[in-house]
Amino acid sequence: MSRVLIVEDEEHLALGLKFNLEAEGLEADIVGDGKAALKLLLNSENGIDAVILDVMLPGMNGFEVVTQLRNAKQYVPVLMLTARGRPEDVLRGFESGVDDYLPKPFELSILVARLRGLLRRKQWATGEQGGAGTAIPDSETQNVFAFDGKRLDFATLELHVKNQTIQLTVMEAELLRHLIRNEGKAVSRKSILEDVWDLREDTDTRAIDNFIVRLRRYLEDVPAKPKHLLTVRGVGYKFVANPAKARGKSL
Amino acid sequence: MIAAAVTLNISWIVLNWRELGTLILGVIFFGIVIAGLVLNTIFLVREIRRNEQQDSFLHAVTHELKTPLTSIRLYLQTLQSRSLDDTQRQEFYRVMLADSDRLLGTVEQVLHAAELGHSKNMLEEIVDMEKLVRECLEEARTHHHLSPESLRLLNETGAGAKVIGSREELRSAVTNVLDNAIKYSGKKVDIQVELSADENVSLKIRDNGIGIPRAELKRVFKRFYRVADREVARVKGSGLGLFIVRSIAKKHGGNAFAESEGPGRGATITIQLPRAI
Repeated sequence: MSRVLIVEDEEHLALGLKFNLEAEGLEADIVGDGKAALKLLLNSENGIDAVILDVMLPGMNGFEVVTQLRNAKQYVPVLMLTARGRPEDVLRGFESGVDDYLPKPFELSILVARLRGLLRRKQWATGEQGGAGTAIPDSETQNVFAFDGKRLDFATLELHVKNQTIQLTVMEAELLRHLIRNEGKAVSRKSILEDVWDLREDTDTRAIDNFIVRLRRYLEDVPAKPKHLLTVRGVGYKFVANPAKARGKSL
Repeated sequence: MIAAAVTLNISWIVLNWRELGTLILGVIFFGIVIAGLVLNTIFLVREIRRNEQQDSFLHAVTHELKTPLTSIRLYLQTLQSRSLDDTQRQEFYRVMLADSDRLLGTVEQVLHAAELGHSKNMLEEIVDMEKLVRECLEEARTHHHLSPESLRLLNETGAGAKVIGSREELRSAVTNVLDNAIKYSGKKVDIQVELSADENVSLKIRDNGIGIPRAELKRVFKRFYRVADREVARVKGSGLGLFIVRSIAKKHGGNAFAESEGPGRGATITIQLPRAI
């Protein structure tokens, strides 16, 4: 049985969520503040499969909790709940390493579906069988993408570079998947916001740039001189799988 | 050095006396530019602060509105989609009612704060503060499930505490202070209320809660202001409660102020109003 940690200081909300998750056949625990949640999540034997995390928490806010969690190389899937739902808050969440988000108030059925999605990924990542983990997330794209000596596994969210395995968050993987699908073509920042993160408002797009900076650190030999994730001035970004071939073509 | 500089300056002025007029004009112009810059910076800083306050208010109110709403919707959807026994149903109804009360409280507070800035209605009623305070205490005890000992009215000096004003506004002021005292008390609520009447009618509400840092005693009455402190962040609020209290007190010709021996040592909020003779 999967175990979910609910990090929420509003008692009514936390108890309502717990009731519903238990009705869905999941185990659910509640923690009311950020620091206690972080302490519990940093303990590698906590047995927690996914986290529902509120942003406004006493002690330490949700963004800080995820940042510290990811810094400590803990990649338990995190679904963030935010009251404001402004694009900058959502992007800040993704930047800190959140896997998915829902603005408050949310639809119960959507929350359950998103949570199940995260749990499925966790099962793929750990190679566990059973559960609902039979479907491939996106039949259009292959689940493993190899390029220039690197291997990207969309099912486990792992990037293998030079004998090193980097764990990506769902959002980082989704951004890469979007760029790879449009390989060789310039992808606008607006398209990234809309197609990858479902954010339809005009917003400060620097958050995307920060994501790209991070992805370059993972992918590129020299992040300051990118060969795969290229900036297209005035538009956005372009993914090039094989830089040597691309250069050959353009000559 | 200074003497040399002054001497040089004076000799320059004496030698170039013909250009003295231009020099004076230059100095005046320079002064105006500097004054303009200083004023501009002051306004800019003020505007930034105001924006920050506005932003933190929006943040707090969004949270205060959306949280109970989210909870109500969650329980409604649960009632709709799951089979529940009668005890669970009753419990869910209780939760939803409590959340809708919270929602209503926030809406009323925001509307009240907005009204205070505009309404100029005349206040003519004679209000018996002792009766009003007793009613407010009773209401607060029922609402927050408190025993008479944890929220008590000290001695009987409140006789003759009559004020000319709006009963509803005064009730709102007293309720706001009481709610604050309860909210910031933590788990153990121990609040003493004292009403006295001499030249003024004075209502003191003393709690043993998280207290207020000395530097913040005045600021807590500002609109949207909330003390930046982890203990305070635990308690949700819009930063409007004490602003409403002071505004109402001032509208009645009185005032409100806060005393505290510091964080963790409780606070006393006093509302002072002119006594009706």
